[in-house]
Amino acid sequence: MVKLFSMSLLYKGPAVVIPLTSTYDLMSFNYFQRKSIQEFMTFTTQIITERTQTGQRQSVKEQEYLCHVYVREDRLTGVIIADQDYPRRVAFTILSKACEDFASKVPSKDWPYGQQANIQYNGLEPMLLKYQDPKEADAMTRVQAELDETKIVLHGTMESLLQRGEKLDDLVAKSDALSLQSKTFYKQAKKANSWCCVIQ
Amino acid sequence: MAARHRFSSNQNSSSGSWSISQSFASQFSNTPTKDPPEDSLNDQIAEVMSVANRDRTTEFQSVLKSIKTRQPNGVTPHANAKTPLLQRSEFSKYAKRIGTDLSKTYEKLEKLTLLCKKRTLFDDRPVEIQELTYIIKQDITSLKRQIQQLEENKTVMQTNTKRDVQRHSTSVVRTLRSKLANMSENFKSVLEVRRENMKQQKLRKDQFSSSNLSSSMPSSATQGTRGSVLLMDEQRSSNPSGSVAISMDGGDHPGRSSTQHQTMQLIDQQDSYITERAETMETIESTIVELGNIFQQLATMVKEQEEQVMRIDSNVEESELNIEAAHTEILKYFQGITSNRWLMIKVFLVLIVFFVIFVVFFA
Repeated sequence: MVKLFSMSLLYKGPAVVIPLTSTYDLMSFNYFQRKSIQEFMTFTTQIITERTQTGQRQSVKEQEYLCHVYVREDRLTGVIIADQDYPRRVAFTILSKACEDFASKVPSKDWPYGQQANIQYNGLEPMLLKYQDPKEADAMTRVQAELDETKIVLHGTMESLLQRGEKLDDLVAKSDALSLQSKTFYKQAKKANSWCCVIQ
Repeated sequence: MAARHRFSSNQNSSSGSWSISQSFASQFSNTPTKDPPEDSLNDQIAEVMSVANRDRTTEFQSVLKSIKTRQPNGVTPHANAKTPLLQRSEFSKYAKRIGTDLSKTYEKLEKLTLLCKKRTLFDDRPVEIQELTYIIKQDITSLKRQIQQLEENKTVMQTNTKRDVQRHSTSVVRTLRSKLANMSENFKSVLEVRRENMKQQKLRKDQFSSSNLSSSMPSSATQGTRGSVLLMDEQRSSNPSGSVAISMDGGDHPGRSSTQHQTMQLIDQQDSYITERAETMETIESTIVELGNIFQQLATMVKEQEEQVMRIDSNVEESELNIEAAHTEILKYFQGITSNRWLMIKVFLVLIVFFVIFVVFFA
């Protein structure tokens, strides 16, 4: 199933990576595991951001999770940890959107010095919730899904059309038989009439 | 200045004689003389015209060095400490090297063309094609660089040579450049052919796979993989990103097969995202086209069934007519019967006669 686990924004300074904001959705894990998993995710995002160069997008597989990272040209980095099924393209779209949003809300001079506490940005959580479903994030996925639905519906329509054809064939045959019989009926009646006169 | 003229005249002779003159220069350089060493050198060179091919360029260069040290303020040193003839031979050697590289790259391009022209569905070898493409790209860039260097050498050399030599070198550089441009053109066209072929293959694969589509819904979420239902391309093309250890499952997706492969990771890392998007758009476009097709077929079928409906209609009308007519006849018959008293009396008489006969016979 497609699921996002965490989203975080960091600033990749020349020497060190500074986490700016992050949000986690760990409802699917055991209550006791959550803390360790959160730490693990923070650590992973830090390491991965350090290993990625500017202007690059990367996806790294970690056990059953995929970690997508996108370092923008101005060193603002977004990281998403998702499960295997989440489409890669949509993840990067989300990252670009999140970075844009962040860049518009928080002035860029704050980035190199921000700590998690001072940065006032709460846009990540609603995004994480909203984008659990890849269709929300990405117009293309939506369009694709709708098109596929339409195709299914059309296939069904074709089936019913074929059935309609069969029924029409049936009706043709029956109406043919009916007209033949009515003709016979008419002829008989005529004959009966004329025979009656003969009797007279 | 005499030395310079002699040198340039020797330039036009074969390199064999030049090497012989070099050998003589080396022999005579070791004997220190009181004459200006350059003049003695020239005499020896002028005397030698036999043919023996040994490359003694290094010896000659050492001679030059020793000459220079013997004349502290005599000869004005050249800008780059090389004689024009040496530069010239270097130039031609360099040009020859570039020419051989060019021909080698041409061969590789031919191989690539052959590979790309194949249109079989399963024998496609994207690994080799990718590698070859990469190698050819490298070669083209290095050749460009070499030609650039050659041109720089030529401009440096130009100050010391005659005009037709300059023209010759210009034309050599121009020829090499045009050959390189030609080859890049060919390369581009081969890549386009390759892309066309991949599209064709995808179409054919879709034909095979489309019979499965009517029953199942193709997975709408694209994972950026371009696998098709037939397995081969799925497995080969499963890794478009440049990550350490990524594994992606191919979806049952009627997208086209990927052109990325692991050997191209490093180059196309940034492109893969954009390529994915482009391919998704293409998929969407093809889906829409399919839908249009389906609508068309629907319309045709309905039109055909229209005829059936007309036939039914006419049959039913005909039978209605017949039945009406028969009904009228019977009515007439009935009227004839009921209002015919004479007929009634006749019928009853016949009945009674028969009844009487029966009773009489029986009794």
